[in-house]
Amino acid sequence: MTSTAQELHPAPTLEPGRTILELKGLEKQYPGTHALKPVSLAFKSGEIHAIVGENGAGKSTLIKLLTGVMPRTSGDVIWEGKPAALATPHEAMALGINAVHQEVVLCRHLTVAANMFLGEEDSRFGILQQRAMVREAQKIIDDLGFDLPAHVVLGDLTIGQQQLIAAARATVRGTKFLIFDEPTAYLTRKEADQLFTLIRRLKGEGVTIIYISHRMEEVFELADRVSVLRDGTLVGTRNIAETNDAELVKMMINRSIEQVYHKEHFTPGATLLEARNLSGKGFENVSMTARAGEIVGLYGLIGAGRSEFVTTLYGRHRKSAGQILWEGKEVQINSEHDAIRLGMALAPESRRDQGLCLNLPVGLNLNLPIYKRISSNLLISSAQEKTEADRQIANLRIKTPTRNALASSLSGGNQQKIVIGKWLAHGARLFIFDEPTVGVDVGTKAEIYRLFGELLSKGAGIILISSYLPEVYELADTLHVFRRGKLVATHGFHTADHEEILTQALAEKQEKLGGQI
Amino acid sequence: MSTEAIAAEKPKRNYNALFGLTLLALLVLLWVILSVATPSFASTNNISNLLRQGSMIAILAVGQTFVIITGGIDLSVGAVVGFATVIAAMLINAGVPVILAILITLLVGVAIGLFHGFGIVKMGLPPFIITLATLTSLRGIGLLMTNGNSISINNDAFQLFSRSSFLGIPNLFWMVILVGIPAYVFLHHSRWGRYLFSVGSNAEASRLSGVNVQRTIYMAYTLSGLCAAFVGVLLASRIGIGNPTQAEGWELQAIASSVIGGTSLFGAVGSVHGPLLGAFILATINNGANLLNVNAFWQRIITGVLIIVIVYFDGLRRRGK
Repeated sequence: MTSTAQELHPAPTLEPGRTILELKGLEKQYPGTHALKPVSLAFKSGEIHAIVGENGAGKSTLIKLLTGVMPRTSGDVIWEGKPAALATPHEAMALGINAVHQEVVLCRHLTVAANMFLGEEDSRFGILQQRAMVREAQKIIDDLGFDLPAHVVLGDLTIGQQQLIAAARATVRGTKFLIFDEPTAYLTRKEADQLFTLIRRLKGEGVTIIYISHRMEEVFELADRVSVLRDGTLVGTRNIAETNDAELVKMMINRSIEQVYHKEHFTPGATLLEARNLSGKGFENVSMTARAGEIVGLYGLIGAGRSEFVTTLYGRHRKSAGQILWEGKEVQINSEHDAIRLGMALAPESRRDQGLCLNLPVGLNLNLPIYKRISSNLLISSAQEKTEADRQIANLRIKTPTRNALASSLSGGNQQKIVIGKWLAHGARLFIFDEPTVGVDVGTKAEIYRLFGELLSKGAGIILISSYLPEVYELADTLHVFRRGKLVATHGFHTADHEEILTQALAEKQEKLGGQI
Repeated sequence: MSTEAIAAEKPKRNYNALFGLTLLALLVLLWVILSVATPSFASTNNISNLLRQGSMIAILAVGQTFVIITGGIDLSVGAVVGFATVIAAMLINAGVPVILAILITLLVGVAIGLFHGFGIVKMGLPPFIITLATLTSLRGIGLLMTNGNSISINNDAFQLFSRSSFLGIPNLFWMVILVGIPAYVFLHHSRWGRYLFSVGSNAEASRLSGVNVQRTIYMAYTLSGLCAAFVGVLLASRIGIGNPTQAEGWELQAIASSVIGGTSLFGAVGSVHGPLLGAFILATINNGANLLNVNAFWQRIITGVLIIVIVYFDGLRRRGK
């Protein structure tokens, strides 16, 4: 590989409107599941084509086939008029097909520049031209309008910033066809805007963009056309101007969704938890209460201190000042164990890193908090273990062949149901949900919200953290806004409008992204 | 839902059982081949000998498996065995009653395991490092204590134990059963067994679910240390000497047995029967190679190849599932 950084500039402008990739009866079968039923679809150069569908609808399968990660079972792929095998990722990349994944798949310990040129390093006589690469990478980043340094280690950036780097990386490789899989799941609004600018620019250069997202407003903001997948079938393709939110949702879940945000109001009961002037790592001087029967929403950007605040309540981190009261009495919560014993439950932000034992069975994951209850003298009652697991699977409608299936084999939404479901049998009274619907489809969202209502009706309280304003806005009885570690505003149900809340959460707009490092 | 779940549950059980059966079949196949190929293999004497050879590694492998399931490794077990022979020999020669001497030796194993837990949990050392440090320093401490000499144990009853049989089966093999059954119940039917798996799979998720991760790690290494000290007692009884340099490389044999038995070095996958079968497969290969007059150097090569082949096929099948 003798390519130099110079050659890695964005591809020359392609002729717009020409069909670049055509799928004819593309199909994927696994033993036991028909993941993708024959799909025929043509993509034009210079279009942004959104693909929507519930978790498990076949979107990931389609991406894997297009990027050569998995071979197809049958069907033809026509690339620029010629049949393509797409048997390996390398072949897909050589054609100009690239993907930016939801979770960043880059090397966290290498620098931004090293990641940008990973696999295509600039070297002379076998010696890496590090300075030249950093310069080149910085030029590309600046060119894209991202305010990020190229010489720092990737892991020092926020997840959102890493995602931008991943996107930038995909643009420098002669890409003609770029797939974005839920790229904004972990992005702040500002970062998302930068990404959208990049996407529109690529479109202008004639690159075909496949944009996969659960967020309808993004689809309408960006896309030219949208295709809907349901249960492995392509339900239809629409021009964005000729469709609307309601139609797409109906196509996706095959039932009209009267109300995703089904909100029941209960009379708040006794105070469960109170934080008085609590400070800790990442937040300071926060006071709030959580009562039975109400949802307390914590809204703010990622990194505003909400997660740090609740994990401190939960005993994961030590508080540096202030008091925590449980049912009116001051308590010392020194570990998760203490919090759980009081009656708290935390469904953490990242289900992969913190929420699930992925390579263990669904049943074990569901029972993990309650093994103490279903065992006597250390020995587990296997009958109870089975009934408890099956009860939760049925109650939460977790789509799994059996309780013995590995958690990793489930779709994201069903995994999220496990993260939440394991606390239901435990009998906790205050539930803390940290971004419970990230990367989850509309149908699962509605089910999770229904579950909230159920918990409230049983007298539990909920603290809901979300970076997705409509979610907290429609669900929270009390809404606290966090900004840079401080609780800056508190609202009742619908007592402020979106704009006001957003302004409070963002405030200092001139704040530089790079400044957070 | 429940009928569906019960119906679909079988494949997985079958898979685990199938892997166990495959190992068992491999072991039986080896025995059949060796019985035909050599006249002496099937003799009572040789079988007893083989069971004795395999037993000690088998017990080490069980303790090792607990640790590996949590995603760790215990490199110290061979050194602990050697060290335990010294402790047992010194205590017995000093006139301490045998039972008490054994108990104290076992406690030393527990203490070493607790030290490993401390190093990992409190000092934040990687398991590989802390147990490697113990591996080398325990040998040194043992050599200091003995001045580099072997200690002959002057207690015939103690030595007789490992040479005797009960119901025609060597006592050492009975010890495998004595360890294996509680280990099985512990790993597969107790709460703490579940926690070993969950910590190995995702320590953070386990912690947030209320599992005491630190205690689980302490427990795994303590059990491994205990098993190793127990093997040390058995070895002292079998050979009749205390010598800190004994059991050189046994940690690797224990890890190999565990891995052959289907334990994943990435954690969260493992059983009790697997490492036991793995240990006896290795013992059979060594025993058979001796009888067939295969160069001892070849035995090591065969063991290496076997590890690659078995783990490769196991991985293939897991992925294919």
